[in-house]
Amino acid sequence: MATIGEIAPAIALLPLASFAVALASVVFAPRLLQKGGAIPGILATAGSLVLSVWAFVHVGGGEPIEQELLAWAAAPDSFELTLGVLIDPLAALMLVIVSLVAFLVHVFSLGYMNAEGETGLHRYYAELGLFTFSMLFFVMADNILMAFMFFELVGLCSFLLIGFWFREEAPASAAKKAFLVTRFGDYFFLVGVVGIFAAFGTGRFVGSEGFPHLAEEAIAEGHEILGMSPETGVMVLGLLVLGGVIGKSAQFPLHTWLPDAMEGPTTVSALIHAATMVAAGVYLVARMFGFYALSPTLLAIIALVGGFTALFAATMGVVKDEIKQVLAYSTISQYGYMMLGLGAGGYVAGTFHLMNHAFFKALLFLGAGSVIIATHHTHDMWKMGGLKEKLPVTYYTFLAGSLALAGIVPFSGFWSKDEILYESIVHGLGTDGGLGVLLLLAFAFGLLAVFFTGFYTFRMVALTFHGEPRTEVAEDAHGVGWSVKLPLIVLGVLATVAGLVNMAPLDVEYLHSWLDTTEEAGLLTSAHHYEEVLHDVAHVEAATLTPIATAAVSLGLALAGALAAWRLYGSDPQPHTDRLGSIKELVGNNYYQDEYQVWLAEGVTLPLSRAADTFDQVVVDGVVDGVSSVSLFSGRRIRRIQSGIVSNYVALLTAGLVVLLVTFAFMGGWF
Amino acid sequence: MVPVQWYLLLSAAMFCIGVFGVLTRRNALVILMSVELMLNAANVNLVAFSFQHGNLTGQTFALFTMALAAAEVAIGIGIVLVLYRNFEDIDVGLPTTMRW
Repeated sequence: MATIGEIAPAIALLPLASFAVALASVVFAPRLLQKGGAIPGILATAGSLVLSVWAFVHVGGGEPIEQELLAWAAAPDSFELTLGVLIDPLAALMLVIVSLVAFLVHVFSLGYMNAEGETGLHRYYAELGLFTFSMLFFVMADNILMAFMFFELVGLCSFLLIGFWFREEAPASAAKKAFLVTRFGDYFFLVGVVGIFAAFGTGRFVGSEGFPHLAEEAIAEGHEILGMSPETGVMVLGLLVLGGVIGKSAQFPLHTWLPDAMEGPTTVSALIHAATMVAAGVYLVARMFGFYALSPTLLAIIALVGGFTALFAATMGVVKDEIKQVLAYSTISQYGYMMLGLGAGGYVAGTFHLMNHAFFKALLFLGAGSVIIATHHTHDMWKMGGLKEKLPVTYYTFLAGSLALAGIVPFSGFWSKDEILYESIVHGLGTDGGLGVLLLLAFAFGLLAVFFTGFYTFRMVALTFHGEPRTEVAEDAHGVGWSVKLPLIVLGVLATVAGLVNMAPLDVEYLHSWLDTTEEAGLLTSAHHYEEVLHDVAHVEAATLTPIATAAVSLGLALAGALAAWRLYGSDPQPHTDRLGSIKELVGNNYYQDEYQVWLAEGVTLPLSRAADTFDQVVVDGVVDGVSSVSLFSGRRIRRIQSGIVSNYVALLTAGLVVLLVTFAFMGGWF
Repeated sequence: MVPVQWYLLLSAAMFCIGVFGVLTRRNALVILMSVELMLNAANVNLVAFSFQHGNLTGQTFALFTMALAAAEVAIGIGIVLVLYRNFEDIDVGLPTTMRW
């Protein structure tokens, strides 16, 4: 019997097979596959889930899985480019999350897509399979180039899925926007990948041969990196890779694609936000945390971007009217928290929030999907209301997800968000210099965002489920099937209890010790190793502070936000945000981020490219054309000496000879 | 013994006569003969210097030049024949179409 170490690639290859089956059935036998290809997808992701759990258990035994699949380019005495599988505790955890969410999304799709009579289902399931495959291989990638390749595939699949209803204008445009904005970040990532290969000769993530460790040694021994001091070199490379992260994880200022991506099917939003696309960015930071932990500047930038994004997106979530828009902004905000946690040196905290968020955000999106089916594809929360009695399962699971999102004890989001805030304040207080100050600033952003999170979450719950039905569609909402309820229940349970694995204030730290599991194997990816690096290289120090204090403050803020929303929108909701006047105008237009980016494109980039084009057309082409016209003109003139009369030729020859002789004579000094 | 300068003068005179013939005559056969004069002027030069330096290489070269001149005349006569067939004349001023 094969061991999991040998068949680990199958975790990702199974969804690829479902992609191939769905695609082949479209071409060869469209009627053969019932339910539009859902069954192979469900089976494949279920298989992936089983194998992932098996790998999880195997890694839990203290033995990471490493396997080189293919060296597809090798230069002698230099470096080789490989595809390989690496499953350490972080990857194993992420594999289980991704395959579980993908499986549940496939099941949910039966109710959301098939039952609603959508067309193009083969395409839908094929793309879902490819998406899951890409993300699973991204998670398992053992070097940064392979990670980049699958990072791009994930981007491609999200483009395809966001634009699933490509015959309408909005989804097609949203898909294009998502692709272009994330591509913009990926340019920097690609340059960073090349830079890492040039500087270290390897793209490996782990071990003493991996680039994070080589960079650490370079700093310790003071070797130059790409002609820069080692600290600067690490910072530049880290920032370049961070460009890709900011694009994919929708951090400020590249977050604008994500709210538009709501044009895709809700199931796709669940997958993108919880487990695949958006998670890829933060996962990459966690994957190469040993590299980021080397530079205090990088940590400060990550924390500040994260903290700012958390607050920025949360304020926009407050004024949105569509349920999916609120969730979209909450996703941006929550990924901001993860970045804040990682930037503050809280590797465990960031990973923990990544896990919890995957569960509760998938739950919230699927819950929103369930509401949307029940209300005949209504998205506007003002047209809902009073759905609590008609959709009890959806309501209670959605409530669990909301409590987790708002960070109310004891739901999962509370524990991880609190740990992030705790890490940022203790490291902010304890660390000297700029990093400490910036961490405290980021902490302040994050803490303030807790209030807004509580507010918009419960505004959403109250508007959707409470009060009286405000329209006819809300009044005759119909129930939903088992394929909708089952994923909701599974995720609802997880969103409630997942936080219990790492209750830092109560000294329960299973996740922390899980991330230390394979410390003996020398991968240098354990949380313990990262703590040492943070302390020794980046000089991050922790102040002593009781976790209960921050927990109480953040819980208080979350409850205040939630209660405020409840009082304003609980029974007889009015559009209270209209009273904010010009502020509402500003926030409702997303701080004019789209406008300013369009202006950047149309007002700056376009004239600049026009000018460059004119320069090319006039100056560059002008020089080339000028040279050719000179030779054409002189050619036309000079050819006239070729008269066709032999005597003239002879005369010319003789004259030439005489001239030559005279010249030689002068030069030789005969005269 | 005749000094080498006389030979050089003779060869220069022959060469100039040849060049003059090539430049002024229109008859292809005469031009061919003028070319022969120029070649033989060179031959005289070669043989004279060979004699002066006591080195036989120059004379060997003169033999080669004669062989070359023979070959050249064969081609030259051939061209003259073609010229005559086309124009009923061997005036080199007649063919003027071989140009741009």
